[in-house]
Amino acid sequence: MIKGKPGLVAGVLTIVGFVLLWQVVSLLFLPSFLPGPRELIARLLVVYSEAEAYVVVWDTLRRIILGLLASMIIGGILGLIMGLHRHVEAFLDGWIMVALTFPAVCWAFLAVLWFGLSDVGPIFTTVLIVFPFVALNVWEGTKAIDKEVIDMAKVYKADRRLIVRKVIIPQLLPYIFSSLRIALSLSWKIVLVGEAFAVGSGVGQQLIIHFEDTRVDLMLAWGVSFMIFMVLVDVVVFRSWERRAFRWRHQVAT
Amino acid sequence: MASTVVHVDKLTKKFPAPGGGEEFVVLDAVSLDVKEGEFASLVGPSGCGKSTLLNVIAGIEVENGGSVTVHPATESADGAIHVGYVFQSARLLNWLTVEDNIRFALEAQGVPRDQWRDRVTKYLEMVGLAGQEPNYPLNLSGGMQQRVAIARALAIEPDVLLMDEPFSHLDEITARKMRIDLMDILERAKTTILFVTHDLREAVYLSDDVYMMSTKPARIFRHVQVDLERPRQPEDPRLFDMEKELVREFFSVLEQTQDQ
Repeated sequence: MIKGKPGLVAGVLTIVGFVLLWQVVSLLFLPSFLPGPRELIARLLVVYSEAEAYVVVWDTLRRIILGLLASMIIGGILGLIMGLHRHVEAFLDGWIMVALTFPAVCWAFLAVLWFGLSDVGPIFTTVLIVFPFVALNVWEGTKAIDKEVIDMAKVYKADRRLIVRKVIIPQLLPYIFSSLRIALSLSWKIVLVGEAFAVGSGVGQQLIIHFEDTRVDLMLAWGVSFMIFMVLVDVVVFRSWERRAFRWRHQVAT
Repeated sequence: MASTVVHVDKLTKKFPAPGGGEEFVVLDAVSLDVKEGEFASLVGPSGCGKSTLLNVIAGIEVENGGSVTVHPATESADGAIHVGYVFQSARLLNWLTVEDNIRFALEAQGVPRDQWRDRVTKYLEMVGLAGQEPNYPLNLSGGMQQRVAIARALAIEPDVLLMDEPFSHLDEITARKMRIDLMDILERAKTTILFVTHDLREAVYLSDDVYMMSTKPARIFRHVQVDLERPRQPEDPRLFDMEKELVREFFSVLEQTQDQ
């Protein structure tokens, strides 16, 4: 509805403009330093014509999904508890701040030392960096809850479970969705960095291998293709999911 | 003789003053009785603690003195007391359909699941919203939203239905229509009602009993019975006469309290 023609035109213009700019800039450098869009597309086709590429992508994807899921569950529950219990809020507030400010790089190195070459490392790093954002966002959402409908629910003797399920969670949903999108954009980058450090598989490892061979074209092919993939997940999966969840809002009173 | 459903005995409620000064007395030894099948109104100026009284009866606020007892009007299957509440605004869950909003109250009250569908249909039909089950509240006008709220309150088949200025947020024409319809609905539902308003004409038109409340002290100073046959006409001159007389009384009480 809102996404009418102006949005589409702007989107197309952005992409066309970006590709043109890239083409122009790439002419100033050697192809081995910064390949142009056409070379990149050729590389992409080569990379993805091999079956192993999909194994690589799946390894990374699996870690992102697990990290994202764990971050959402841990952060969501913590944020909810902080919002509903004042004494827990006072207690956890400091811990969340510590988790937010602890350098991401430290977690990545610690993960290597503690877990070595396994799936656990990048997932661990992702969760520790992402869950505080989710908790913070959901906690913020609990402050915007309409107290009047909670009173209504209490008058009708709704128990705590029913209130959380039908009154509180639906009001937190916008915050949960925005957390989910922030969490996705954070976690895929963290997983790639984690894989580059130590894991020995996945897209991150491809990046580090091609970095060592100074194959900028292959690094970009992996990086850009994965970025496009993640943007598609956000636009196609999350946004349409969000639109469906909020359909009660879109039908505005006539 | 109809039995008493709501018995309020010397109820006192205080709120701590902002800044920690002397406590503010919102209800000062208030007593009233609502009998089965009766429509009782509580009339008073804004801020005289009328809503607080309803909240204590509904059990979301605790009294500081006196007592409130609600007796089940009929021997209900589960032995629990069911209190329906219609607020100034509809307070619907906008993310649920009309049907699910009513089901929410039924689930909260522990009404057996196999009765839900029938109750939703019956009470939506009663408030004039048959067929609106799958609609979302934001698609409905303010008056229709309030009708859903009334259907939700009736659907739990309450021992007493509390209404807190339910028409005050509506425009006068819609409100007038709602009052007339409310009379018809209650004729069918046979519910006991305690209705709060600051509108004397509304109170006189709707009620069997009117309790009038002052602010300082927050007391009931007068209890009148409206012995007019039903159905009533909103333009009935006897209603106007009664309203005029009660307004006069209100002013004299108001002057007395200001003189003190």
